[in-house]
Amino acid sequence: MKITKILIANRGEIAVRVMRACRDLGITSVAVFSDADKTAYHVRMADEAYHIGAAPSSESYLVHDKIIAVAKKSHCDAIHPGYGFLAENSMFAQRCVDEGFVFIGPKPETIALLGDKLQARAQAVEAGLPVVPGGEFEAGNTKDAQKKAKEIGYPVLIKAAAGGGGKGIRVVMSPEEFEESLQRASSEAQLAFGDGRVYIENFLERPRHIEIQILADQYGNVVHLGERECSIQRRHQKLIEESPSAIITPELRKKMGEAAVNIARQTGYIGAGTVEFMVQNKKEFSFYFLEVNTRLQVEHPVTELVTGLDLVKEQIAVAEGKKLRYRQKDISLNGHAIECRISAEDPQQNFMPSTGTLSNYRLPAGPGVRVDSGVVMSSEVPIYYDPLFAKLIVWGADRKEAIDRMKRALEEYHISGVKTTIGCCWSIMQNENFIKGNLSTNFLKEEYPDFRFIRLDDTIKEQAALAVALDKFIRERKISVNYKKSGTSPTNWVSFYRRQNLTDFRGDR
Amino acid sequence: MSRYLVKIDDKEFDIELKYNSDKYYALLNGKEFKIDSYKLGENRAVLLIEGKSLEVDVHSNGYDNRKTVFLKGTEIAVDIEDYNLAQLRKTVGLSSDKIIDKTVKAPMPGLILDVKVTAGDTVEKGQPLLIIEAMKMENIIKASGKAVVKEVLVKKGASVEKGSKLLELE
Repeated sequence: MKITKILIANRGEIAVRVMRACRDLGITSVAVFSDADKTAYHVRMADEAYHIGAAPSSESYLVHDKIIAVAKKSHCDAIHPGYGFLAENSMFAQRCVDEGFVFIGPKPETIALLGDKLQARAQAVEAGLPVVPGGEFEAGNTKDAQKKAKEIGYPVLIKAAAGGGGKGIRVVMSPEEFEESLQRASSEAQLAFGDGRVYIENFLERPRHIEIQILADQYGNVVHLGERECSIQRRHQKLIEESPSAIITPELRKKMGEAAVNIARQTGYIGAGTVEFMVQNKKEFSFYFLEVNTRLQVEHPVTELVTGLDLVKEQIAVAEGKKLRYRQKDISLNGHAIECRISAEDPQQNFMPSTGTLSNYRLPAGPGVRVDSGVVMSSEVPIYYDPLFAKLIVWGADRKEAIDRMKRALEEYHISGVKTTIGCCWSIMQNENFIKGNLSTNFLKEEYPDFRFIRLDDTIKEQAALAVALDKFIRERKISVNYKKSGTSPTNWVSFYRRQNLTDFRGDR
Repeated sequence: MSRYLVKIDDKEFDIELKYNSDKYYALLNGKEFKIDSYKLGENRAVLLIEGKSLEVDVHSNGYDNRKTVFLKGTEIAVDIEDYNLAQLRKTVGLSSDKIIDKTVKAPMPGLILDVKVTAGDTVEKGQPLLIIEAMKMENIIKASGKAVVKEVLVKKGASVEKGSKLLELE
C-alpha cells in the first residue's frame, strides 16, 4: 500500500525531521499544534496544519480523539508518532489501526508487551539474551528476597515491579541494610502504583549504556544497524550519543547485534526499534539486556550518518509493506558520528530548564555537520514540553575527527535568549576521559561533580567585562545624544561630526 | 570618558572607556585595549578587541546592574556599576550581594510544588527555598546568599509566570 499523506502526531525537531522524510518521498505532511505552538517551526514546515487545543500536552498532543479527528478530516492514510507523547502508547496504536490508519511503528501488541518491564525481561530470557541476575518478590517475602540478594551478590538494586519514574528504587550496599530498604521500597511501590511487588537485581556499578538499532519488515526479515553509545547522561536522560562505540569490537557488535535481532524475532517486531543494553567492563566486556524502545529514538541520526540510511524513510517503507532492501552482510559502519542534544537547560544549575525567546539563533554548517532543529530565529521555547529543541550531529572519518568537528560546530552555533547545553557539550569534547573513551553512565557525576562545565579563563572574563562596559557606555552616550537632538534625525554632516568627536557635536548644539 | 566597576564571579575589573575617531579605547585594570564595535542589532555587536574578532550579545533581563553576555557559546553573568557609585557604596559598607536579589523571582513559568521556608527563617547560600515544576521537571530554587526570609509571596500549588515575585529576603 502506498502512503501518500502522513499526520505527524508530535512537535519540535522530531516533527520537522519526519516532515523532511515526507518531502523527500513526495508524501504530504500534516502537522497538529497546540496554543503554544501556533507559529512553531513544525507548523510552518508542514504542508497542512491543524490546531488541536490548549498548550498542556494533556489537552492537545496526548488526546487520541483530537489527533484521530484531524487524521480523518485531512484524509491522511498514516500516522507517525515521533518519539515521546503517544509513540509508545499501545492503546493509541490500536486506535489508529481500528480507525483504518497505518500506524508507523510496531504492532500495538508488541508495544504493550515490550512496554511492560517484567514481560520484556521474560521475552529477553526466552530469546536467550543475557539479563542482569535478579528476581521478583511479593511484599513481605523478606526471607526469600534476602536469599536471592545474597545469591546475586551485593550491591543489589531493589525496584518496584510495576515501576517507572525512579519511584521505589533503592540501592543496597550490604546485607545489613537489606530488610529496611526492601520494606521501604515495597511500601513506596504500594503507594505509587498500588502494587507492592518488588524486583531485585544485581546493581551494576559504572555501567555503559549501549544500544542496538534494529530494523524489521513485515516478512520476518530483521537487520541490526550497529550500536550507539549513550553513556553520557544527566537525570537518566541522554546528552551525548555516538556510533560506533569506542569500546565495541566487531565480535562484540556481532554478539550484541544478534541478541537484538533475536528479541525482535521473538516478539514479532516490525519497523525501527532499539534494544538497550548495559555493558560492564569486568575482566572482559559483558552486556545485559535493559529494555526495548518501540519507536524512533532521539539519537537515530548518528546511526544514519554511519550507515547512510534514512531511518524515517525506512520506517515508512516498512509501514507500506515493502521488504527490506538489504541483508545483514550489506550493512557496514562508515566513519564515526556524534550527536549533542541542544536543550534549553542550564547545565551549571543541575540542568534546570530555561525558557525564553531565541533572540539570536545561528546554525553551524560546513563539512560533516547536520542540525535537526525544531526552532528558528525568534522562536519561543515554551515551558509545556521537553526542553530539547535541536540536535547537532557531526560525522568524521574517525572518532578524533568527529570530536574535533563537534567542538568546531558547537563554537559556530550561536544561541541567545535561553541557556543551553552547548557550553557543557563543548567542555565535554575536550574532556580527557571522553577523548579516551573512558565512559560510564556516571560520567557527568564523576567528571563534573559541581556542574562547573565551563571554567571561565581570564581572557574570556576580560572580553565579557569589556563587552558589557562598552554596551553600557554606548547606550548612555546614545541617551545623551537623543536628548540633545530632540527627535530630529541628524543630517549626514551631523553624523559625521558625531563620528568624529562626540563632545564637539554636543558643543555645537 | 566613563568609568565602570565590572564583576564576573569573584573577579573585579576597573574599566575606563573613551571614544575617539570611530574607535573605543579601554583601560582595564591598567591594561589598554583598542576596540572597534559594529552593531548587529538591538543587543548584538561584532567587537574587534585589538583585532580579535568576537560576536557578543548583551542582555539586561530587566536589571540595570546585572547583564548576561553570550560569548563563544557561553553565557556569562556580569555585574556592572558606575565606578564612583561603587566606591561610594563600598565606603558606606554595603556589599553588592545585599543590593542584588532581595526579591526571589521565578526563573521560569511553572507550578509551585513546595515552599521550603517561612517568614523569619534564616537561610544559607545554596539552601533550597522553593520547588517549582516546569517542563515536566522539578527544579529547586536556592538561596543565592545568606539572608533572612522577610515574606513568602506564593503558596504551594500556585501557578507563576516568569519573573513573578516569590519571596522577599532581607
